[in-house]
Amino acid sequence: MSNEFNCSHARLAIGGDPHEQSPELGAHLATCAACTKFRAETLALDARLRAAFELSLTEFRKPVEQAPPARRFALAASVVLAMILAGGFWLLKPQPALAGDVLEHVRHESASWDAHEILTPSQLADVLRKAGVQFDSSMPVLYAMACPFRGRRVPHLVVQTAEGPLTVMLLAHEKVAGRVEFAEDGYRGILLPVGEGSVAVLARGGDVADAVVAKLVSGVRW
Amino acid sequence: MNPRPRGTTVPSAFTRLLETLRPDLVRFAFWLARDRAVAEDVVQETLIRAWKSRDELKDTAAARPWLLTIVRREHARLYERKRLPTVDVDQAEAAGDLGLASDGDAGLEDLRRAIMQLPDEYREPLVMQVLGGLSTTEIAAELGLTQAAVLTRLFRARNRLRTIYGLAPAEDAE
Repeated sequence: MSNEFNCSHARLAIGGDPHEQSPELGAHLATCAACTKFRAETLALDARLRAAFELSLTEFRKPVEQAPPARRFALAASVVLAMILAGGFWLLKPQPALAGDVLEHVRHESASWDAHEILTPSQLADVLRKAGVQFDSSMPVLYAMACPFRGRRVPHLVVQTAEGPLTVMLLAHEKVAGRVEFAEDGYRGILLPVGEGSVAVLARGGDVADAVVAKLVSGVRW
Repeated sequence: MNPRPRGTTVPSAFTRLLETLRPDLVRFAFWLARDRAVAEDVVQETLIRAWKSRDELKDTAAARPWLLTIVRREHARLYERKRLPTVDVDQAEAAGDLGLASDGDAGLEDLRRAIMQLPDEYREPLVMQVLGGLSTTEIAAELGLTQAAVLTRLFRARNRLRTIYGLAPAEDAE
């Protein structure tokens, strides 16, 4: 290519960024109908490209495929539970926004409540492994994702109980000083300290039974 | 009336910002990775990294390019770390795993397939420019290329897509 701004330069500039127009390109386009047409075509192509890139996200985070019933894990000896019942063991300041963040997260993944197929142990184990948490669930798990939450991956589960589904978030790195109850927008929840972390249990449109919470918490090991 | 959560406040503005921008990040990651599951993983890692580095974001108006940059780096890191196999677009498409749900626009679907089949070196700057809104200067800095090299790659990417759009390709100087 010569140093003079010619059609090759113009096509390269247009193809590189059709929305950008340098003085040289502008001057060239003023005298070159072919390159002006090329630019118009490329701008039209870019409009189609933008449309092509805008994929629907409905296919993302689709529910896990149907699977056979989950293995029921043996319950761990509940040192953890005893610690919870003792209460007030952790002399730490509560994190006031934690319940709000849990609610916001659960609201954002509201489709998780609609899961109705029981996950396999391997599906659950995969999520727990990603989050670095152990959880022996005595209840069927219908939904499990290792979700980003406050800078870490945490297991976001939905378990089936006799009273309906409950959301369980295993917050290995979120300490709370004691039991916190919260309710908003039809959700009722409990945050409980468990070892060096905490567990959030939420119900939608109902209460969270203490017996169920105790059962859930007894299966948690950080 | 339900009481407010005891001892709680509304979620942080940063958390809301991340949630708002998450769809953009997922799309961006998907077009880089061409794989739905990988895109989800990349975005999750991105959100974690962003949360940890949130103090670095001084201006929320700059959040989108900041997050897109993290997505791109996390995507590159994921491939380096896990040595993920390169996506075979034809096989993935046959398995229905491209996330290219039909929206009734055959031309658009053809264009998506063509974008998928672009070599990484052409597709990546194109995604960064058209979807990410980055300038060629920003793309050059991010990819460690000269601006001229980026322009050439973008030119070639569009040139390959012109035929899908029913246009004659431009003459490539090289």
